[in-house]
Amino acid sequence: METPAQACCWRALSVSLCGVSHQSLDLPCQDVHALRILDNGVLIAALADGAGSAKYAEVGATIAATRAVEMLSAKLTANSAPDEEECKRLLQKAMQTAKEAVEEAAAGREAQASELATTLILLIASPDFIAAAQIGDGAVVVSDEEGKLVMLTSPQSGEYINETSFLISPGAIEAMQTEIYSGRVKYLAAFTDGLQRLALKMPENVPHEPFFQPLFRFMEKVTDEQQAQESLTAFLASPRIAERTEDDITLLLATLRG
Amino acid sequence: MSDSSQYPMGKYAGKQPIYRYQSPTDSLLDGIEFAENPEPRCPCVLLLDTSGSMQGAPIEALNRGLQMFRDELIRDSLAARRVEVAVVAFDSGVRVVQDFVTVDQFQPPVLATGGSTYMGQAIHTALDMVESRKAQYRMHGIAYYRPWVFMITDGEPQGEAAEIVHQAAQRIRDDELSKRVAFFAVGVDNADMERLQGIAVRAPVKLIGLRFAEMFLWLSASMQSISHSQVDDQIALPPPGWGTV
Repeated sequence: METPAQACCWRALSVSLCGVSHQSLDLPCQDVHALRILDNGVLIAALADGAGSAKYAEVGATIAATRAVEMLSAKLTANSAPDEEECKRLLQKAMQTAKEAVEEAAAGREAQASELATTLILLIASPDFIAAAQIGDGAVVVSDEEGKLVMLTSPQSGEYINETSFLISPGAIEAMQTEIYSGRVKYLAAFTDGLQRLALKMPENVPHEPFFQPLFRFMEKVTDEQQAQESLTAFLASPRIAERTEDDITLLLATLRG
Repeated sequence: MSDSSQYPMGKYAGKQPIYRYQSPTDSLLDGIEFAENPEPRCPCVLLLDTSGSMQGAPIEALNRGLQMFRDELIRDSLAARRVEVAVVAFDSGVRVVQDFVTVDQFQPPVLATGGSTYMGQAIHTALDMVESRKAQYRMHGIAYYRPWVFMITDGEPQGEAAEIVHQAAQRIRDDELSKRVAFFAVGVDNADMERLQGIAVRAPVKLIGLRFAEMFLWLSASMQSISHSQVDDQIALPPPGWGTV
């Protein structure tokens, strides 16, 4: 699912980990991500968190993430310098593509689309701007060149912690968040809801500096990606994280260099 | 999203004086409680009939059940910090025997019986408590699950104005419809199941004999599974081994 992230500008790491409660309930990991960095320096990523209650959640999450990234890669490889508006439209289309792929997979299994329910976060990051689209919970955070953290998308959830909207929910695409950050960023982070309570400060709903700053400093020092990937995985699997969250977690970190 | 502003007073206040739940005002202590334990909360109000007819074996079985409920939940360390229990007893009055506490702080009460069945007021109290607790969660940035009210009775509303009961039933309907709460009713022994049917939206369950132990085991398992859930799956009632619908 991953391609080595070694293009000119973006350097990225991403990890999906199975949560403690999923291990004890013998559920598969329902968090999935897909990441690509194109030759023209554009980073494309998808993070999907399959619904715990959905029978084929991990299938839905995998299909949604991979199909959206495939579609965006195909469109953006051909286009060397996409602009913001174009990217917004592309994200919308990619969501639609992902939704249709999930519905098709459901039909193929003679299952309800809701049995493949998943959230979906999509990212197009060029050196000049970030475009993000999101259905459901999780969030995208960027750090500008001065180190100021900005919440680009935020968790879409209902009143209760255990309800959110899904890609296949009626009206979800119409109601999805689509956000553009214009300008150059230094760092980019995206994560699924498993990390929400660590990464965001509630009730203000703002990025939690003590969570991000060490991670961004870590990204700054990355030289060996393989090793960095392992360090990040070990960090996310550490007891200090595990005792605060029992859900699957996905974290994508990227930094713009040069 | 819920609109809590209309509660707890205005809309449903009857002409008769109704016992009204006063939320604890010691917000400094709340702050400490939530700072010490920032886990999302899964609130459950146990609304228990302690009228005279519950005397003897029924109340003893109920008391044992409460203890078992606590003992089961405490074994799950996450559920113990997420599930919040409140106990409200009703007879010729309504008493908040235990305001919301997480299971790790919960000491099950031993309930005594006597008097009439002020069910309508009790329902108002429970729903007030739920709204008030949600407001506290929001104020302290604590995420939460849909609250449950679990009412156990061996009778029917008695001794209070019909209007109060009518309003209580109406309020349950509104609150179920807007997903503010999930309200369950369990009838014991000679409970008027038809009357309960008219009060709760969900089909009331008739307890088989005095199987409170099985019922509380089921309730603790349900609370446990909700407190671990991540997405909206309102737990479907499994065919209870302790009752009939």
